[in-house]
Amino acid sequence: MQGGSSGIGYGLKYQARCISDVKADTDHTSFITGTLSLREENEVHLIRLSSGGTELICEGLFSHPNEIWDLASCPFDQRIFSTVFSTGESYGAAIWQIPELYGQLNSPQLERIASLDAHVGKINCVLWWPSGRHDKLISIDDENLFLWALDCSKKAAQVQSKQSSGMLHYLSGGAWDPHDINAVATTCESSVQFWDLRTMKKTNAIEHAHIHNANYDMKKNHILVTAEDESGIHIWDTRKPKSPIQELPGHTHWTWAVTCNPEYDGLILSAGTDSTVNLWMAPTSVEDEAITESIAESPAQQADPLLNSYSDYEDSVYGLAWSSREPWIFASLSYDGRVVVESIKPFLSRK
Amino acid sequence: METDDVPLDDKAKRMRDLLSSFYAPDPSSTENAPSNPGTLDAINTTSFDADQYMNLLIQKSNLEALLQRHVEMAAEIKNIDTDLQMLVYENYNKFISATDAIKRMKTNIVGMEANMEQLLDKIMSVQSKSDGVNTSLFEKRERVEKLHRTRNLLRKVQFIYDLPARLEKCIEAEAYVDAVKFYTGAMPIFKAYGDSSFHDCKQASEEAIAVIVKNLQGKLFSDSESIQSRAEAAVLLKQLDFPVDSLQVKLLEKLEQSLGDLQLKTNDIENASMESNDPKQGKVSDSVHITAHEGSVRGFAEAISAYRVIFPESEEQLIKLVQDVVVKNFETTEQYVKGRISSANLLCVLRTIWTDVLLMDEVLSEAVLPVFSLEAAQIALKQHVASSFNYLLQDISDALLRVNVSSKEAAEEHPLQVALEASKKAVLQGSMDVLLDFRQLLDDDLQLLVQLRDFIIDWVQEGFQDFFRALYDRFLLLSGRNSSSRQDQGLTGAHGEKVLAGLVLVLAQLSVFIEQTVIPRITEEIAASFSGGGARGCENGPAFVPGVICRIFRSAGERLLHHYINMRTQKVSTLLRKRFTTPNWVKHKEPREVHMFVDLFLQELKESASEVKQILPQGLARKHRRSDSNGSTASSRSNQLRDDKMTRSNTQRARSQLLETHLAKLFKQKVEIFTKVEYTQESVVTTTVKLCLKSLQEFVRLQTFNRSGFQQIQLDIQFLRTPLKETVEDEAAVDFLLDEVIVAASERCLDPIPLEPPILDRLIQAKLAKWKEQNLISP
Repeated sequence: MQGGSSGIGYGLKYQARCISDVKADTDHTSFITGTLSLREENEVHLIRLSSGGTELICEGLFSHPNEIWDLASCPFDQRIFSTVFSTGESYGAAIWQIPELYGQLNSPQLERIASLDAHVGKINCVLWWPSGRHDKLISIDDENLFLWALDCSKKAAQVQSKQSSGMLHYLSGGAWDPHDINAVATTCESSVQFWDLRTMKKTNAIEHAHIHNANYDMKKNHILVTAEDESGIHIWDTRKPKSPIQELPGHTHWTWAVTCNPEYDGLILSAGTDSTVNLWMAPTSVEDEAITESIAESPAQQADPLLNSYSDYEDSVYGLAWSSREPWIFASLSYDGRVVVESIKPFLSRK
Repeated sequence: METDDVPLDDKAKRMRDLLSSFYAPDPSSTENAPSNPGTLDAINTTSFDADQYMNLLIQKSNLEALLQRHVEMAAEIKNIDTDLQMLVYENYNKFISATDAIKRMKTNIVGMEANMEQLLDKIMSVQSKSDGVNTSLFEKRERVEKLHRTRNLLRKVQFIYDLPARLEKCIEAEAYVDAVKFYTGAMPIFKAYGDSSFHDCKQASEEAIAVIVKNLQGKLFSDSESIQSRAEAAVLLKQLDFPVDSLQVKLLEKLEQSLGDLQLKTNDIENASMESNDPKQGKVSDSVHITAHEGSVRGFAEAISAYRVIFPESEEQLIKLVQDVVVKNFETTEQYVKGRISSANLLCVLRTIWTDVLLMDEVLSEAVLPVFSLEAAQIALKQHVASSFNYLLQDISDALLRVNVSSKEAAEEHPLQVALEASKKAVLQGSMDVLLDFRQLLDDDLQLLVQLRDFIIDWVQEGFQDFFRALYDRFLLLSGRNSSSRQDQGLTGAHGEKVLAGLVLVLAQLSVFIEQTVIPRITEEIAASFSGGGARGCENGPAFVPGVICRIFRSAGERLLHHYINMRTQKVSTLLRKRFTTPNWVKHKEPREVHMFVDLFLQELKESASEVKQILPQGLARKHRRSDSNGSTASSRSNQLRDDKMTRSNTQRARSQLLETHLAKLFKQKVEIFTKVEYTQESVVTTTVKLCLKSLQEFVRLQTFNRSGFQQIQLDIQFLRTPLKETVEDEAAVDFLLDEVIVAASERCLDPIPLEPPILDRLIQAKLAKWKEQNLISP
């Protein structure tokens, strides 16, 4: 319950799972989020942090035809974003453009640029290349990995290549390596798999069970952070898939999402179904042996990697996003539709 | 003449002074009185001026005085006059006597020359006569000398000819010293003439000498001879230019051979320890063994001292040799220490070695054997301490791993409990035994150990510190938490996960036990008998820091407990995942019965509960707990709210229920689902249940249901309610979570119409009946 006053809240009307940083908006710190309601009319909210940083302003409110399971903002055009949605029985994914005349707040229609309609099963997520302009998109469903060529001007998206994950591997999500335009990691029940997009072949795999979410370190190459059900957070060097380079305790219940700070080295944010968001400081450049050693040495001497635990949530937190414009700010979204924007500044100075 | 002068003493003296002043070369003797001519005293100076004097006199004196002066002066003048006369006379007198002397000399010299000539003649004749005698005797003398030389030579030749015989005689008499003396005396001759005139002689004597050498060698090697005689033999051999070095080497080899007997054999040690363990016959055989060993060591020591006397310069080799013995002994000891032995046995061995060392040290103190062996003993002891702890660790993990075995056999009813008790005992008793064992080391008065006392104390303390660290690591390894080392720990993976979970629980409880009981006991014990030490420097503090260890184990206990809960929930989680991902919930058929995953779930819980019951203590009274549960005051309120809500929810539409839930949430305090786990049966089970239910809720949220699917969930959850409440201490939280699952399902339902209560009831009753039946069949 501590630190309840520090966050800036914003309420969505319905339950929601996903929030994304609008990276292409360089003038404002804004986030985009969409609701998840099976029986109501769903909405996409474009939220902006006021210049004073004290208020969250709704910049745009658009209706979306179905409940949104995944949402990602285009890293090079602030008006474009992708969603994965479900009608309850079937899934779909689409690229949307926010119409020019937003600001009127009268629920204008979103313009559908392209529909990623090659999927059959349950779609999990759509990925943009996080580091800049790239005309490719990746979408992941239960069994397949699709690479799309997107043409915004022609408003068309075409499947460029497709790869099945193989039998018995039900994909659950993925992450696109910000350092390598051709490398993608996908998570499934028993492992993390790495793909080379040029050949669409599997290059490597980390055998580890129950990974919910994976995120590449924006600053350091080869570093992947994963979140698991029971065993918390693991930091991997993708060149050494045998064992993680570090282990963080994670959450009391599942650790749902994990994300690395785009600016500050070693800062990791995790959201869990125990209704908390934890801010971690992973000690930099520690060898595997050194960790086990130092744990054995004396736990007291080791600095607690947990910098802060934000626990002012009523429900499980699924959505988590750093602001890339102001990297000390993050937005979190709990299932009951509450967006909370927090600043980690007090912990930065301590570091 | 001087004798004459004696009566006129004064006068003569004055005369002589005057005379000498007259003859004196320096007239200036009087000038030191340059007195003022203006005084009356200046009369006796060179600068005397008569007129001036006169005037002065006249001016100063009256007539009477003048007259008196006149008289005086006249008298003085007269005096001086006589003096002069005397002087002249004297001079003349001397001159005359001198002339007389010269005259006498002249007459004496005249007859001398003739006498001299006569003397010369006589001397000449004496000389010529002596020359004559000399020449006449010369020849004879020459001959005498020659004869003498020949005689000497002949004597030598005789000696050489006699040498062989003499040597023989010496050999007979064993007077080797003389023999060698003779032989060495004759050596130069043999060298010079051995090839020609004395050939036979030389050969004979060489033969004799060869015999001597042989005898000497024999003497040298024979142990029965006294050391002195052996030393003498060595010296003699050396004098005979015999290659002593090779002898030395040979002798050394002999010593080395005898070393073999001296070395402690592992068997011997074992025998010794076996015997010492057996108190009945131990004493006799032990002492026999020890005396035997001591005897051989003593013999060796004597041999060494002899050798030293014989070859004084061979010290280095000897030192090396002796050190070798000690090193080898310690090596065997180290080998021995690697096995499982008690300190008493080690003590026995060390004592033997130490007596050996002392014995040898007496003989060869230069080898600094005590210091040397001290170092070696240090190493051996350190190893002993380390290996003791190693075995203790092994014991404990054996005791722990017995869980796997025994549960496989399934003979015992409470394998976990047994394992816990066994491992508790292993830890506590084991460490106490180890301490007791080490105390023996400390209590012993063996000098070697007394010197190492501080070290031992430090080692023991350090050993404990390291031991507990290692134990901690082992715990982690056994629990499988150490993901990096999981692969190489085949034995944990080989046995089923079920056992592993139990083991983790045992480990957790064991950690608590160690923290709360074992460490304080050990600390006490160490303080009692292992205090001091300090050989490792004060700045490091004492080696054994119970605080740190306690902390490690407290955190380990918590970690392991969490790990246990995690393992349990993980299994349920897989179960649930399978349940929720397999069917197509949107096309679910109407619920006919409670789904079997509930059975499996309850089964898991039961298993966990049975494990927990074996290991953990019961918490406080349940009734008390319930009112004091985490929901605290709010729980009763929320309970009521929920009851209301539930009764209505069965009749009303789910949509309004959702709204109500939100409203209720607003008003009631947030139920703390995740609370601190305690080491009680109830707490662990409750936490497990809570985590499982939360997982259930999350799984439900990920699906989309049709009406039948929702109803199925409702049915399953409703059924779960009763059995869960029975097992769990925090009813409020569990109730809340169960409700949450239903709410989540209704939220994710396209058409959330709940089952009618009668149907719900009927299905549950049917399930209960089936359950009972099953329980009857397989109790």
